[in-house]
Amino acid sequence: MSFWDSLFGEKKSTANVAKDRLKIMLSHERTSCKLPYLDDLRNDLIAVIRKYTKVEDVKITSHNNENIELLEVEVILGK
Amino acid sequence: MGIVITVTSGKGGVGKSTTTANLAVGLANLGKKVVAIDFDIGLRNLDMILGLENRIVYDVVDVMEGRCNLAQALINDKKSKSLYFLPASQTKDKDVLNKEKVKKLIDALKESFDIIMIDSPAGIESGFEHSIFLADRALIVSTPDVSSVRDADRVIGIIDAKSEKAKNGEEVEKHVIINRIRPDMVDAGNMLSVDDVLGILALPLIGVIPDDEDIITSTNLGSPIVNKEKSLSAESYRRIARRILGEEVEFLDIRVKKGLFASLKGMFK
Repeated sequence: MSFWDSLFGEKKSTANVAKDRLKIMLSHERTSCKLPYLDDLRNDLIAVIRKYTKVEDVKITSHNNENIELLEVEVILGK
Repeated sequence: MGIVITVTSGKGGVGKSTTTANLAVGLANLGKKVVAIDFDIGLRNLDMILGLENRIVYDVVDVMEGRCNLAQALINDKKSKSLYFLPASQTKDKDVLNKEKVKKLIDALKESFDIIMIDSPAGIESGFEHSIFLADRALIVSTPDVSSVRDADRVIGIIDAKSEKAKNGEEVEKHVIINRIRPDMVDAGNMLSVDDVLGILALPLIGVIPDDEDIITSTNLGSPIVNKEKSLSAESYRRIARRILGEEVEFLDIRVKKGLFASLKGMFK
């Protein structure tokens, strides 16, 4: 993009920015709302994993893309 | 038996009370016997929008606590004779409502009214829960801005969890009202469009109210705009009232009069 474009070029419309920000935010909020068992699941997973490792924490993130709901479990074993 | 329609939003200040007032008057004008109840305990507002603030003697908590009977607390509207109003209490104790008392009141109102419109308080606390508890239908009001849409989404997510109807295996019928839209800003790409909001909230639309200064002046006067003849926002409210009664009504073209801006019409199917 040239200097001229960066000064006067087309910007992404603010409405589209708003829409994208909302979609991302809500895809997170909705799953935490839809999965009330998330905390219990996490505690149970930690209990199981600690039987075999020294891991103290498990990171669970949920994603909601169009038609797919994804639960991502991340276990960091360390070095 | 009457039906219970709760007007809610999550975020405050998006026009719940104005919507409740105008739809209650609109439905009464269509011949229905309507009661509008303000459930925003401690922050009474619907009375001033309806222009009935000087006639309040008893309120909704007085009825529930048995300090007066229902007929004593109901205020009949000046113009729309089939509209009644039950004001919120101004008590500081906002947790004064409880489920049994709310149920007893609503059941009593169902006997003699066609439509019971509940103006829910903002937020997702007990006041909201009592407002949605017995709802047959919910109208979710949102303006086209990120905070309002986000809060509307949260509220939609918990309506069924708090509703008695959902506990009995039925679903609360939900519709979105988009308030204060500015077609010129939508066309310029600087405001979420009706389609944008509906795409996010994933619920059917029941009406769009254009941003209109006349709504402020009619609130100043305590005379709901729905009674005004030549007004886009008034016509929008009148059409929503007809849709609530099951009529299929075409969506209004709310483009700015001068014709400088493209019509919003194409955005509705």
